[in-house]
Amino acid sequence: MPRLLRSLWLTLILALLYMPILSVVLASLANTRYMRFPHRTWSVGAYTDTFSQQETLTLHLVSLKVALCVTLFSVILGALGAMAFARYDWRGRSIYQKAVVLPIFFPQPVLGLALLMFYSALGIPPSWKTAIFAHMVWILPIVTLVISIRLFGYDPAQEDAARDLGASRWQVLREVTLPHLAPGLISGGLFAFLLSWSNLPLSIFTTGADTTLPEWLFSRVATNYAPVVSAIAVIGTFASVILGVLVLLGLRLSRARAG
Amino acid sequence: MIAADLSMTQDSRPVLGQAALSLQGLSRSFGSLQALSSVSLDIEEGEFFTIVGPSGSGKTTLLRILAGLDQPTEGQLLLRGRDITRLAPNKRPTAMVFQSLALFDHRTVGENVGFALKMRGIAKAKRDARARELLELVRLGAEYFDKPVTQCSGGERQRVALARVLASEPEILFFDEPLSALDYRLRKTLEVELRALQKRTGRTFVYITHSLEEAMVMSDRIGIMRDGQLVQVGSPAEIYGRPDSRFVASFMGEVNILKVAEGRLPELDLPLPGTPDGYVVLRPEALRLEEGTETGAPGFAARVAEVFRLGSRVQLHLESPAGLMIAELPAETQIRPGATARVSFAPEAAHWVAE
Repeated sequence: MPRLLRSLWLTLILALLYMPILSVVLASLANTRYMRFPHRTWSVGAYTDTFSQQETLTLHLVSLKVALCVTLFSVILGALGAMAFARYDWRGRSIYQKAVVLPIFFPQPVLGLALLMFYSALGIPPSWKTAIFAHMVWILPIVTLVISIRLFGYDPAQEDAARDLGASRWQVLREVTLPHLAPGLISGGLFAFLLSWSNLPLSIFTTGADTTLPEWLFSRVATNYAPVVSAIAVIGTFASVILGVLVLLGLRLSRARAG
Repeated sequence: MIAADLSMTQDSRPVLGQAALSLQGLSRSFGSLQALSSVSLDIEEGEFFTIVGPSGSGKTTLLRILAGLDQPTEGQLLLRGRDITRLAPNKRPTAMVFQSLALFDHRTVGENVGFALKMRGIAKAKRDARARELLELVRLGAEYFDKPVTQCSGGERQRVALARVLASEPEILFFDEPLSALDYRLRKTLEVELRALQKRTGRTFVYITHSLEEAMVMSDRIGIMRDGQLVQVGSPAEIYGRPDSRFVASFMGEVNILKVAEGRLPELDLPLPGTPDGYVVLRPEALRLEEGTETGAPGFAARVAEVFRLGSRVQLHLESPAGLMIAELPAETQIRPGATARVSFAPEAAHWVAE
């Protein structure tokens, strides 16, 4: 009996988690301008529209550009920052460790507005490039934390040992430091990409004339809804799932080859 | 056991009468802290040299300089007459076993052992074969080859670390207290094995430890460090029998140190004619005991506070006019705590030190 209860409980939780996604899928299959159920007529028109519009491509490209740059810069800076406080003991280390995560607690819309004022004070016109910086203010601390978790169990003497055994500095990086950091870099990178890809409050203030996908979705949901909005959300979700599965498979394959 | 293709280049072959490593006035300061002050020493070819000192005495700093992981602020380091003071660690024919062992924990035992060969661009099949040989040599066995190092026990990790440095065919091996984390019996076993390995390979070993007992078992010569300085260098017998300061003597374990002034031991009120002012060191086994309190016999009166039976001998804690003193007697000695005794020693057993 407890077994039956447990599986019921699990089913309930999964249903609650996936219900909203399912409802978006259903909404995308309508041809009405309002979200309502049940549909009078079912249609895949929203999907064909999505793929035929130039606008949706541009939206995705802007979001992708921002997210990829944020990922790249955050992982590099995050790795360096994490090494600085996980490997070396220096004055102000513990203050740095706390200061670096503070921006996470700052409300994003306020941060976005503050950054916009900062840009205009400096005379920088906001665009997708300024959005990269804005996203990083919030995302870099998280990436640094994720990577530093990997570094805390790390014995830096391993690098000395590798040097001592004949490795050049470059070989030490390739053979010891990077393999050890790799899981942290990958999870940090995934975090950075997803947080940037789905960010709305910072993008609203800092992208200027460019529009990211979440911004567009938000404005269309608020004022000018069409099933295209749901269709894009569904496509995005499935694309992410497929990407995630591919990354996992790739990791498993490369590990199998290494081992 | 030395593969021909791995041997060192001409200019680093041993030369008769030349020190394997010559330390010439090595100093190292970190800001205002003087970690090493002018350490000079010649380490001979094929020697097992141990540096002993309490923590913070600069021995790890010294070893890191010898391995090239740190640079001295002053002084020179010569390897067989060649100046290697500024040579990068990966260019030196030396290898080190670290205190934490520093095994590559994302790799298997075999990959750890083969690392140095991989860095030299030696083919996988060849380095794997060599790694298996070395695992046999350190008594782990080739079946450990595929095991992740994270699944090895303390003693096994020790052997992996040893095999890993041997793979690089170093001319000189450095050891930074690698046995300190192990339990007593395993440590004893490995000490003996390490010594045997050193004899068999004929390589120069430089070992650092805070345990003089460990140093005595393994070393040809011992150097005692204190506050960044080498205070005494000698064979284990010399260091044990003729320590040249109270510091060295007390490092040897439990000894009795008594003040000498004007040809007397003022604390015990005993004459010690012809001895200059300073201190004398009395080993616990140099003390003789006679039960009872008859006055007139030579020596001083003491009360037995504690009796410890240590198997091969009996150790007594004595309450004497000079405070706590330690005596060691043969195991068959029958004496109980609380007994009073007359304690004496041969004057020649008292070893004099100036400070």
